[in-house]
Amino acid sequence: MSTDIFRKTYTNTVEEPLDLIRLSLDERIYVKMRNDRELRGRLHAYDQHLNMILGDVEETVTTVEIDEETYEELYKSTKRNIPMLFVRGDGVVLVAPPLRVG
Amino acid sequence: MAVANLLLRTIAENSMVVLLQGLQGEVTTVDLRNESTARGRVVNVDAFMNVRLEDVLYRDRRGKLTRLQDLFITGRNVRYVHIPDHMDIMKTIQSQLAKIHRVRNFASHGGGRKEYSKKK
Repeated sequence: MSTDIFRKTYTNTVEEPLDLIRLSLDERIYVKMRNDRELRGRLHAYDQHLNMILGDVEETVTTVEIDEETYEELYKSTKRNIPMLFVRGDGVVLVAPPLRVG
Repeated sequence: MAVANLLLRTIAENSMVVLLQGLQGEVTTVDLRNESTARGRVVNVDAFMNVRLEDVLYRDRRGKLTRLQDLFITGRNVRYVHIPDHMDIMKTIQSQLAKIHRVRNFASHGGGRKEYSKKK
């Protein structure tokens, strides 16, 4: 069994998309997740699956309620704060610097 | 059997699952994909993020609470794992990796199959 494939190499240049995430280590980031969830937190660690450790996280869950009579869409968002969170990578849709509102 | 363990250790060592493996014995909350949560003591986490919890308070998506002695969660069903405040993440990861490397070196002691040549 070749053992070279298990050896990690750390480069200084940006070569692949995951390297861009490496640039955000220890920075606050915005993570869009499946099921209408968003996370804002400090990126402490990540891996190739996009499993991540986020600190000081704010999770926003957005739901749409449809009014029975008027068929109006009411968007509600629920937030909660978690000091340190491990996020499983398969739920992650995108990773970006925090969105600036306004 | 030894080959299977080598594979599992290698899968774990190359991802963040090692941190979860270092959570053994800690009480944590696991948020599941189905919007339910399970709070209990971590018995074991494997390379695929399958989690075994004991003494669990399971809250379903409606908020209904159930006490469970033993709960096995498939890795695919994990959304979040809450990390206890007091944990030092880097230290935990490093000690988990050290354990893996110790096992690896132990296996190659005495002229056994070397998994990789030692640097330094």
